[in-house]
Amino acid sequence: MPKFTLDPASLMTPSRRTFLKATGLAAASTLAAPYVARAEDNVLYINTWGGPWDEAARAHLFDPFTAETGIKIQTLSPVSFAKLAQQVHTGTYEFDITTLGGGELVRANEAGIIEDLEAPYEGGLFENGVASHAFATVMAWRTDKIKEGPKTWAEFWDVERFPGGRSLQRYAARVLPIALLADGVEVKDLYPLDLDRAFESLDRIKDHVRVWWTAGAQSTQILRDGEVDLIGIWHGRYFEAEKAGAPVAMTWNQGEIDRAYWVVAKDTPNAENAKKFIAFATSAKPLAEFVMQADYGALNPASNEFIPADAAARMPTAPANYSQTFEQDMANFGGDPAEASERFEEWLAS
Amino acid sequence: MTGLSNMTERKNLWPWLLLTPLAVFLVVFFVVPLIDVAVMSFTEPRLTFANYERALTGTLYQKVFINTFLTAGFVTLCCLLVGYPLAYLMSVSSQRTAMLILLLVTMSFWTSFLVRTYAWMVLLGTNGPLVWLFQAVGITNPPQLLFTRFSSTLAMVHILAPYMIMNIYSVMRKIDPVLVRSAESLGARGGSLLRHVYLPLTAPGIANGCVLVFVICLGFYVTPVLLGSPREQMIAGLIGTQLDEFLAFGMGSALAMVLLVFTMVILTIYHRHFGLDKLWG
Repeated sequence: MPKFTLDPASLMTPSRRTFLKATGLAAASTLAAPYVARAEDNVLYINTWGGPWDEAARAHLFDPFTAETGIKIQTLSPVSFAKLAQQVHTGTYEFDITTLGGGELVRANEAGIIEDLEAPYEGGLFENGVASHAFATVMAWRTDKIKEGPKTWAEFWDVERFPGGRSLQRYAARVLPIALLADGVEVKDLYPLDLDRAFESLDRIKDHVRVWWTAGAQSTQILRDGEVDLIGIWHGRYFEAEKAGAPVAMTWNQGEIDRAYWVVAKDTPNAENAKKFIAFATSAKPLAEFVMQADYGALNPASNEFIPADAAARMPTAPANYSQTFEQDMANFGGDPAEASERFEEWLAS
Repeated sequence: MTGLSNMTERKNLWPWLLLTPLAVFLVVFFVVPLIDVAVMSFTEPRLTFANYERALTGTLYQKVFINTFLTAGFVTLCCLLVGYPLAYLMSVSSQRTAMLILLLVTMSFWTSFLVRTYAWMVLLGTNGPLVWLFQAVGITNPPQLLFTRFSSTLAMVHILAPYMIMNIYSVMRKIDPVLVRSAESLGARGGSLLRHVYLPLTAPGIANGCVLVFVICLGFYVTPVLLGSPREQMIAGLIGTQLDEFLAFGMGSALAMVLLVFTMVILTIYHRHFGLDKLWG
């Protein structure tokens, strides 16, 4: 059951609300609307990615938290950034907690739609999000077509040395930094991004990209079925193809790390319990167990001691792998990400 | 006298009373949100026409709008070319055969949209049966089928053809066979029989089917993204990106309103020529 925080103002005087909205003062009406306490005080609502993510979180984060505190957890999926913004806007809360990527987090914090938080572990706080887990976009290839794979994005771009169809994610904020590395930019000089140079670099690979993948499952499928010979793919999705027995290999070198952050919806009446949950979910042991099942890397360094070596080898945050990767820097992107994305879509469509 | 007039009044009110629950539902869950979307398109992020300016003049949006309408038109044409002969076959077959064909046609409705899309990926893929067939007949370097305009159009026609077939079939079934026979007795044969008698008789079905397929196709999103190349981008996908990635509710709303207005224009033209009430048979 989704919960609703009733906004009495909207019930009694809809015309006033509409008027305020029409005059662009929606924020004022939200601020003016007091909350009606809800009947279920002991329930937290969490927005999740569903599927295997949900299962792993339920087993290692949600159920143990309920056992420890008596606070029940309900989930709804998929993760929707738009919904987070809308529920603050309307005062109707469907969830108290969600996870955001770095770029979204910067925007959410700017827009004032998330609560102020404190770091539950040292270095764990960024823009009012608590760093939880990470995944990497890595290069992978079919070993039946390519004996020795590329080691850098520049080699991934080299269609003479590595002939074959390629695939990259249709997502500007992830592809543009990769295009710059492929053009010879050093990681330390990457941000702010030189967008013109990035698009010139993309021009060179465009004809060889058979698929711009949009969904994680799709990327696994095209690698596993051999639709493409080289791919930029999330590491967890790569291991899925490997597990299925496909002849594939990957490298951590120049892997691009995305961080996921827990955030609390602004002004939710459950903020206190939500903060308690986030502290629990990013504490060493539960986080270690969650990332092992869900194929992520833990961002709380204290988790590493609970992760055995064979599992660590599959994580971008394990020290040996992490040193080869690079991090996104969404706070220093080098332009408006929305405009970059529009330009990217335009470039794709032409 | 009064009793009688009361009764007729009640009789006239009755259909409206029956409609009330639906009307309330539509107002609450459709009209009100739609007005909200219209308001947002002018007020987010502030009171402005900028969203519409960008939606109508931005090269990306122009390109995608044009592509959306061209794709919908082409898919409609393909559905008609596939659907018309099949509907004819059904109308001249025995009741049992017709039912069997109808069953096969509607069977694709029973599987989820995504499953059907992924099924096409398997069928048309590099290691799929179709490429294997090409190789078996000696074509060693078969053309790329997947992730092209061909594959996305094929899948959309597959999904939408049933709407066309059922619309045309329902009209063909009602045509009195005597009309065709009289035309034949008056000397109409083959092409001229089709052009002067059968096509005009089935025109309402064709128009209904075309409008339905066209309008549904305008809103397609997943199929062209998963099966086509980025050049086959449709407007629904861009609207989703605006809302979900950039929280640009104003821009997303403006794009949705432009699509809505264009669609209404098409429906109005249709209504002028055929009457919207005929859509429902």
